[in-house]
Amino acid sequence: MITYVRKPIPDIGIDESAKRLTPEKIEKTINAVLKGTGARLKAYLETCIHCALCSEACHYYLSHDKDPSYSPVAKVKMTLWEMVEKKGKVSADFIRQCSRIAYTECNRCRRCSLYCPYGIDIWYLMALVRRICLLLKVVPQYEMDTNYSHAATLNMMWLKQDDWIDTVQWQEEEVRMEYPTARIPFDKEGAEIMYTPIAPEPKFKPQLLAATAKIFHAAGVDWTMPSSDGWDNSDISMHVADFETMARVERKHFEAAVRLKVKRIVMCE
Amino acid sequence: MFDFIKDPSLYNFVRGPLAWIAFFVFIGGSIYKIRELILLAKKEKTVIPFLDLKFSLRSILHWVVPFGSVNWRKRWVMTTMTFLFHICLVFTPIFLLSHNVLWHESWGITLWTIPEGLADIMTIIVIITCMFFFLRRILAPEVRFVTFTSDYLILAIAFVPFLTGFLAYHQLLLPYKIMVILHMISGAAMLIAIPFTRLGHMFYFFLTRAYLGSETGFRRATDW
Repeated sequence: MITYVRKPIPDIGIDESAKRLTPEKIEKTINAVLKGTGARLKAYLETCIHCALCSEACHYYLSHDKDPSYSPVAKVKMTLWEMVEKKGKVSADFIRQCSRIAYTECNRCRRCSLYCPYGIDIWYLMALVRRICLLLKVVPQYEMDTNYSHAATLNMMWLKQDDWIDTVQWQEEEVRMEYPTARIPFDKEGAEIMYTPIAPEPKFKPQLLAATAKIFHAAGVDWTMPSSDGWDNSDISMHVADFETMARVERKHFEAAVRLKVKRIVMCE
Repeated sequence: MFDFIKDPSLYNFVRGPLAWIAFFVFIGGSIYKIRELILLAKKEKTVIPFLDLKFSLRSILHWVVPFGSVNWRKRWVMTTMTFLFHICLVFTPIFLLSHNVLWHESWGITLWTIPEGLADIMTIIVIITCMFFFLRRILAPEVRFVTFTSDYLILAIAFVPFLTGFLAYHQLLLPYKIMVILHMISGAAMLIAIPFTRLGHMFYFFLTRAYLGSETGFRRATDW
């Protein structure tokens, strides 16, 4: 009898939030999210022939010695199929397990969708589970914290605007020791490209900004970076399915480019 | 019981009205299901804008050709069995001589027909591949984990018409009349089940494939 067996890992983001759940809240949230779905969910639920050909795609499945409970179809079975069948009447413990499966046993790489003969977007099904878990606030602590960083500072590393500007100007000085005429231009209107790093670059690896500046200088690229919000192109809010914050982050990123009247946005990652 | 089965009214019902019902429900049900899905897709707003005919056809062709995609190439036994099963399942009933004779008797239409020996081989292929799928369901752990009773049932619904058809033609096991009635009932059951069960992947395959093909296509990626 194959079952879902895991070593318990405490996570206050999941455990504490799950304690505050009530059956009514769970049912209402699940049904609200499912009501917002349409043709795709219906087709994917009704077409999946349970062939498990997606298993070989999943690196979690392969790296856990082909444990069937890590297979993509198994992940969907243990989360979404249960929710749909029970019409949202599931327990808080079940939501905790869903959160563990959707957030820590799947990283939405989408290989399974490309292995499925029908083209069932299994990634989309896991995204629905993540959305339900997020609305119930049952998300791993570190990921939720990063999401709050996006909500508060529009970047994923809790950086303030002066942190960003100081770091970039410090790296500009470092670059100019090697190439005196190199610059990292802030807010240059009408530049060819607007380059945006991910927030871990100024936070943990500022030398990457210097490296980028050296490459652009050697290539003679006409570039700029925004000095205000919108300089970070990462989006953990999308990853945890907080679509409202995701929209704010993406809009700010795009508006920075519009404001600077650049021709293209170049993202490092 | 045998008297009841030998009664001409049962055969007449199965040969006539049941066949009508089966085809009506199959064709009408399929049209209804496809239409329902397309209407839902229009409401979802993220489906129709991405659909592109060229990418959809490219994706469908990529997966309909054996060993076209990466996953087909990774598992040659499953791929061979799948393609043999589906090709023989679809083409045997359509081009079988007996079926064409019946259609000609009822509605005056015929298609091309295949030799009886070839039909026998194709039917045996369906029977063997069905047994392979059944064994796979009970032996492979990743498949067993997601198998429900309905999976065995739909496999049986596809298997029984071919088994009974083969036995009826060769007049094995049971008297011909009984076997052919069982064959027609199981065939009707399969046709009726197609739109309302997972056997509807018969037409859903093209729609889901078209969507994912379009999504990968517009991102300038290829379908694996």
